[in-house]
Amino acid sequence: MKWYEAISKIDRRIIYLLLTVFVILPFFVPFKIRQNIMPQTQRLFDFVESIPPDDKVVMISFDYTPQTMPECHPMAIALLKHCFARNIPVLGLSFDIQAPGLAVEAFTTVVNELNLKASNYDDSLFYGKDYVYLGWKSGFTAAVLDMGESIAGVFPRDYFKHPVDSLPLMQKTKNYKDVAIAIVLSASAYPEYWVLYPQSRYGVKVGAGLTAVMAPKYYPFLQTGQFSGMMSGMKGAAEYEHLIVEKGYTKKLGRAETGMNSQSIVHLLIITIIILGNIGFFFSRRDQKQS
Amino acid sequence: MNHDPWIWIGAFLTLMIFSFLYKDNPFYKFAEHLFVGVANGYYIVFYWQNALMPNLFEPLGAGNLVYLVPLLLGLMYFARFIPKIGWLVRIPIGFMIGWGAGISIPAYFQAFVLRQLQGTIITPQSFENTIDGVWAVVILIGVICTLVYFYFSKEHKGILKPVSRLGIMFIMIGFGASFGYTVMARVSLLIGRIQFLLGPWLGLID
Repeated sequence: MKWYEAISKIDRRIIYLLLTVFVILPFFVPFKIRQNIMPQTQRLFDFVESIPPDDKVVMISFDYTPQTMPECHPMAIALLKHCFARNIPVLGLSFDIQAPGLAVEAFTTVVNELNLKASNYDDSLFYGKDYVYLGWKSGFTAAVLDMGESIAGVFPRDYFKHPVDSLPLMQKTKNYKDVAIAIVLSASAYPEYWVLYPQSRYGVKVGAGLTAVMAPKYYPFLQTGQFSGMMSGMKGAAEYEHLIVEKGYTKKLGRAETGMNSQSIVHLLIITIIILGNIGFFFSRRDQKQS
Repeated sequence: MNHDPWIWIGAFLTLMIFSFLYKDNPFYKFAEHLFVGVANGYYIVFYWQNALMPNLFEPLGAGNLVYLVPLLLGLMYFARFIPKIGWLVRIPIGFMIGWGAGISIPAYFQAFVLRQLQGTIITPQSFENTIDGVWAVVILIGVICTLVYFYFSKEHKGILKPVSRLGIMFIMIGFGASFGYTVMARVSLLIGRIQFLLGPWLGLID
């Protein structure tokens, strides 16, 4: 077998093995690849930065699934840290059936971490005052449209079965007029439905945190201003983590930022494999033509 | 190393699924079937507890008889299984199509057609920033050329030929971007699993 035939017929299991090694290696051989911040992530960060403290809520729709956790969960953690660091109240909700457990985990992780660092009562975060998780609701379209009239009407009780009207945050958050932005963290088509229904009818500002697979489809929404910002995949999450560290809201880098080292190395490997495969293909085709 | 049994179960199931990369085997089959069973069980219990109970059975139990209407409409879907009354299924389907079309069509035109058209139109404001202006022109050219490529009522000859060729270049760049993002997404999932195995399970990383 000629060399160019060999490189175009590498056993897929060798490629899987190489991928695994290249993913693992950066965790043990630390190095830093500089993150350049994409404009859409910067726009979302800047939007959250522009919201006055203790005023309107940031609504986060947790609509990702365990499969897409590596991409969307770090976004949720970074967003929550950003909002809480700026005293912006957060209202969480979900329409994806697999999301509530992940949303509660994100709130618990961030709130516990920040409350451990809190030096006094005023610095501490309290459920009902600083954040509320409404839980899951069926019937997405009717629910998001009805929230324009009354959020408590759609979610009479929160995830923990508290009457929503009894929570201090919900007494000042009646409908979309009290929402600065709805940020949809999703692994499916929910962000475009937020543009389609609540934005079209009530003018809700919409931001998005998407899996990388979905990102190309949503760039037109950025260009038209229908999205106020967007995080795309693990890179978007890493950029947001980088921005909140740079601004001094937290010192600890998140999982996405550390994962991006592996991501960068693996991309180099994949590019090399694609180039080798093409070289093999062109040389083999030249042989076929000559014979 | 973690002593939580659930972490160990998660780690072993992850390795069982990964074993498929070598070749199909009974461990992979076991994990796959377990996943399907658990997912179905989760969905059924979740919907019962969070959709049917609070939205239908609890209000009915409290004597709110209006909820008989959605209950009846829902039951009509099952009429499909009885040939004699199979026609009943058209009622809830008609209701859903009517409601869905009424809600979606105006919103769809506004959000996905008019706003996207507005985004393509070049105005003097597009050139307030030179780079944005250049991109606005690129977008306009891209949209026109791509639309021409999909215009099949006239043979792509004369001026249409180079324009449609440019259109397919834009389409190919779009496919390339999609492929690149897809690779990134899939690698992210692998990184997530490796982080789980090395972190919570083996305790080798934070």
